[in-house]
Amino acid sequence: MANIPGLIVVEPSPEQSKHRAAGIFVRKEKRIEGESVKEHLRKIREDARSNNASLIEQLQKTLGKYDGVKITSAKDAKEAVSYIKQIADNTTLASINKSNIVVNELRPGLQAAGFKTYLRYYGEFNNFEEGKFQKKVEDYWSLPGMHGRNLVESFDKRHSITRLSSSGIKDYVAIMGVNAISAEDGTVYFLQHMSNITKDLQQAKKIILVVGIEKILKNKEDALFHTKSMGIYGLESILLDLIPHDIEKYDFESLPELSGENGQELHVIFYDNGRSELLKNGYSDLFLCIDCRACARQCPVGQHIFLDKGMVYSPKNYLLGSLQGWLPPVEVCLHCGRCQVECPVDIDIPTLIWKAQFEHYAEDGRSLKKKMLDDPELLAKLGGMTAPLSNWMVKLWIVKMMTQFFTGVHKDSTLPEFHRQTFRDWFKGGSHE
Amino acid sequence: MSNKVVYYHGCFANYYNPDSGKALVSILKRNDIEIIVPEQKCCGMPMMANGNPAGAKKNFDFNARMLAEAAAPGYDIITSCPSCNMMLKREGLPFFDSKDARFISERIYDASEYIYKLYLEGKLNTNFGEIPLKVFYHNPCHLRVQNITDVPVALLRLIPGLEVVKVNTNCCGMGGSYGMKKINHERSVEIAQKLWNEIKAANVDAAVTECGGCGLQMAAGTGIRVIHPLVLLNDAYVKGDARKAA
Ligand code: SF4
Ligand code: SF4
Repeated sequence: MANIPGLIVVEPSPEQSKHRAAGIFVRKEKRIEGESVKEHLRKIREDARSNNASLIEQLQKTLGKYDGVKITSAKDAKEAVSYIKQIADNTTLASINKSNIVVNELRPGLQAAGFKTYLRYYGEFNNFEEGKFQKKVEDYWSLPGMHGRNLVESFDKRHSITRLSSSGIKDYVAIMGVNAISAEDGTVYFLQHMSNITKDLQQAKKIILVVGIEKILKNKEDALFHTKSMGIYGLESILLDLIPHDIEKYDFESLPELSGENGQELHVIFYDNGRSELLKNGYSDLFLCIDCRACARQCPVGQHIFLDKGMVYSPKNYLLGSLQGWLPPVEVCLHCGRCQVECPVDIDIPTLIWKAQFEHYAEDGRSLKKKMLDDPELLAKLGGMTAPLSNWMVKLWIVKMMTQFFTGVHKDSTLPEFHRQTFRDWFKGGSHE
Repeated sequence: MSNKVVYYHGCFANYYNPDSGKALVSILKRNDIEIIVPEQKCCGMPMMANGNPAGAKKNFDFNARMLAEAAAPGYDIITSCPSCNMMLKREGLPFFDSKDARFISERIYDASEYIYKLYLEGKLNTNFGEIPLKVFYHNPCHLRVQNITDVPVALLRLIPGLEVVKVNTNCCGMGGSYGMKKINHERSVEIAQKLWNEIKAANVDAAVTECGGCGLQMAAGTGIRVIHPLVLLNDAYVKGDARKAA
């Protein structure tokens, strides 16, 4: 019988959470200190970052001891997809989990290779109607906000799979990004919000675990803590894209069960796709990310762009996607700086975004429109010198159209009023004395 | 005068809202603080945002030098625009680091932060007259991310008669010139919608915010009058004078 490392599914417990949510008000001593959780988490992540190469090596050795696991490495999405294609036999039906790696980095390639990919998870929300649907999400999570303040943990090990099954399996591949994996003993962790992951681990003929190389942690304790933290900090964000929109449904339950000799297979892909580059070229802080998406809830633009690609983009993923080339260069950021506020590992995303933009413009140049907006001070000086004429001018339709054409400033924008006397003039004039 | 501060007015107070700068001068004067206004250029954030780090560096270095020189005797530096404050305090540092830059970063304050600090130290002249106004306060992202959220509201609440009906910390979607650009306009409006709805629902006399961009966005969507908190604070002093004179 094949032997495999443990596959552990972590999930918030609604019962427990209600109980504990009530608890924070009465049992103050049970509160977890936000800062100590962050500190511990940061240490774990820094460890994973600085020892990445040796952790990869150790994990490869560890997994080699399990005869039920086939391991491979993929330097990019193309390699990963071609491996999946090769082992899928003739199956083109794939259930994927809501991992950023799988959805963003692999899905387009999988689709191009002829796979039908379904986020099985969406299917479990049977009501995508406005209002009603949101309510259901709240019921499920029923936890108070806890960012950095009074953390109340309600995430626990819910399912543990230690054997591949030979009954009840169906003819499809499950491609799943893992939340964390322990280099020491190969134990794999997932964070689940519904039963989709458990079902895939029990039913899919081929289970393909995609291990982003940053997901490899020293041991089980660290990996479990990491997984729970993702839930704790991402609590209010992970479901952000669960807004009414078209979902792809497939009725996996109605697939016939495979008979007799067909056993499950377990594959592990070590997945890089530019990650080791990031470590070298000044973006290594992205390696600290636990993918909790707390930054996504803060970002004013993430929730308004690229929804057509199926996910709400967290600033970190937006930046990562741009650097990896599957999203356009980071130009839509409005530099509000909000994404840094809730990050449990204190990644300075705003600075990294500035850096990525500078590199982008240095390489590809910038548009004339950008150049025109370069010097608001000069514009203000000109406007001020000619005020109030300038204020009257900018309100004219023809001037607005011309401004839009030359500078890209939208014709319906309200522009600030110019003043003939600047603050400096007034101050120097000494009338304040 | 017993005390001095260095004021970085930036483009907003200089060209677009001189009243906010004038109000600050007058507020500080009532607290025996003299204001020094060194030579300065635009903080450089708009240049950064439009992909011109070289231009931004030039301005940033110039400002850092001028401000550091003026503040050298041990004076604090204050700003009245959240974005200038953020640029000088932390956004510029990773790219344009220098001794001057680090020096100013450590002693820069947002004006409300500074004035409220005076209050906490028991040094603020609180001879405020009544301003019977119901206001909506919008906390600009560039203050929020520096953890300056409660202070401006606390300061406004020192004004007798003034009621802060609602405090909002969402993004307005303007982001400097971001929202003005045609390519971003729609997205900007989409983001602003929530704030506009809140303002309309709050049923107030005016909106208060420190940020010029936020102010434009709020006025554009709701037609509401937008006031810089420093202007309100100064008005309260003026009312206070009138009361004393009467
Ligand atoms: S700085 Fe940019 S990426 Fe970060 S929250 Fe603001 S808009 Fe989003
Ligand atoms: S960057 Fe965003 S997703 Fe990553 S850890 Fe920080 S808040 Fe979470």
